[in-house]
Amino acid sequence: MRVSALALKRKQWEPFAFASPSLVLISLVIVFPLAYAFYLSLQNFDLSTGPDYQFVGVQNYTEAVLRDGRFWGSVWNTAVIIGPALVLELLLGLGIALLLNRPSRARPILTALLAIPPMISPVMAAMAWRMMFGVKYGAINNLGLQLGLIDVYFDWFATRFLSILAVVLVDVWHNTSFMMLVLLAGLQSIPQELYDAAKADGASAWKSFWWITLPLLKFTIAVAVMIRMIDLTKLFGLIFVLTFGGPGGTTETLAFNTYLVGFNDFRMSYASALSYLIILIVLVLTLVFLHLSRTRETRAAA
Amino acid sequence: MSVAARETALVTARRTNRYRAQRWAADGLTYLGLAAALVFFLGPFFWIVTTSLKGNEDYFSFPPAWIPSSPSLAHYGRLFTRSSGLRYFGNSLLVSTLSMLAALVVSLPTAYSIARWRFGGGLLSTVLLVLRMLPAIALIIPVYLMYKTLGLTNSYLGLIIIYTVVYIPFAVWLLVGFLRDFPVEIEEAALIDGCSRLGALLRVVVPIIAPGLAVVALFAFIATWNEFLFAVVLTGIETKTMMVLVTSFTSGGTDMFYGEASASVVLGVLPAFLVAFLLQRYLVKGLALGGTKG
Repeated sequence: MRVSALALKRKQWEPFAFASPSLVLISLVIVFPLAYAFYLSLQNFDLSTGPDYQFVGVQNYTEAVLRDGRFWGSVWNTAVIIGPALVLELLLGLGIALLLNRPSRARPILTALLAIPPMISPVMAAMAWRMMFGVKYGAINNLGLQLGLIDVYFDWFATRFLSILAVVLVDVWHNTSFMMLVLLAGLQSIPQELYDAAKADGASAWKSFWWITLPLLKFTIAVAVMIRMIDLTKLFGLIFVLTFGGPGGTTETLAFNTYLVGFNDFRMSYASALSYLIILIVLVLTLVFLHLSRTRETRAAA
Repeated sequence: MSVAARETALVTARRTNRYRAQRWAADGLTYLGLAAALVFFLGPFFWIVTTSLKGNEDYFSFPPAWIPSSPSLAHYGRLFTRSSGLRYFGNSLLVSTLSMLAALVVSLPTAYSIARWRFGGGLLSTVLLVLRMLPAIALIIPVYLMYKTLGLTNSYLGLIIIYTVVYIPFAVWLLVGFLRDFPVEIEEAALIDGCSRLGALLRVVVPIIAPGLAVVALFAFIATWNEFLFAVVLTGIETKTMMVLVTSFTSGGTDMFYGEASASVVLGVLPAFLVAFLLQRYLVKGLALGGTKG
């Protein structure tokens, strides 16, 4: 009987030994802190009043959900930013992907150039744009004045509406290319024969798009949108630099509000409870995402 | 030639002409659209680079000076000396390089265990993915309190530990993919020749999947370089990274100190430019699961 060398060499402890360094580190640095945060969220630990704390049960959670207007404000602000950002990123990303999908020798270089914004940190993206929005020296006011589009040095962060618009614009600039890359990969996996057949049958470009491209791209779009939605739920660095939650807390997102509660007010327990609410939201979105990406894989395999 | 034949030829010619005109129009619109996209997505970089090279007189001029009248590196000099930019740039390099190496060393055997022995079944992969999606804000409060107790705040070690571990799930996920593509027969040959498992992994597998390791390493580097929340909470005056330094310029309101601020942005996005070109083929895979986020 021939025994494969792999089976011969197999030792029971080896798989575990190989995996253990990661598992130990993840347990110590991720799982234990998460458990500790849950423990904290049931206490009333407040560094601004002192190091002592007591068990208060689910009081932090009920306070957040039932009475905390600022928390619900941050939920609303996050939603108001996510909605338009997702729509714009999807439409623009799909548009650019369709343009790049037309056969062209310039495609690799164009794709690489357009892929740069999502590689940079949200902090750097926000900083660059904050400077461009600058009142006296910013590129936007200067260009607008030069072209005669505006006649005063405009403050782009004066109102809630403008600030949210600015946040959405910067996020669209930062992440549309991600959407574009994922959709372009999806477009290139659609067999050309389908389009040739449709053309032979006299279908217009629009009909091909509506009846071939969109149905075949459906799951790719869903997966890309879910990834962006999860990312946007955690929006923090961009807000920290661009608006710092202003004006008057009207652009405070979920993560930014939690950061302020933890590191401005030093209410450690309450911030832990808020972070668990964020975990809950992200977990639900992640499970939807997992379900969608598995559906996409089985569809692709079938 | 009969009248009918001439008519048909004319119609065909007209049709070809119309088809050609349509294609030219479509090509023209395509390039116009792509040019507009390039201006929108790369324009800010152009502006930041030129701003960092401008002299102070260019900031005040109207019409605005889009191209610096006498380009100089003076702002970079001031950033390096007056704002300790050189030190913070070095901090970012140090922390990112060490976290990248540590993440690679720890993740490779785990990925091997999953790829070769299906260690943990499907469950471990799912858990890793969920951990990958975990928001940093959920970890920062307990980690901050633990680090304060252990004296790890304001230290390179503390930052490197958290960056390494937070990156493990993504690194493992990417490495499993590379290892699955690796032919088992080559390893079997090494094992028959008396190599141990670890020996086979290090001497046979690693050299062959080196390009894959480089991809993971570059993603890990850029993710760590870009990370902000842990950096802003856990670092102090000596251990700040570039991401923390850049936010210090916002204190001047909307018209901050443009010279140094723009110079620090240029330095802060430099690695992203290099990696975007080196990793073209892997961008979708890497970006999809937040490969560029710490």
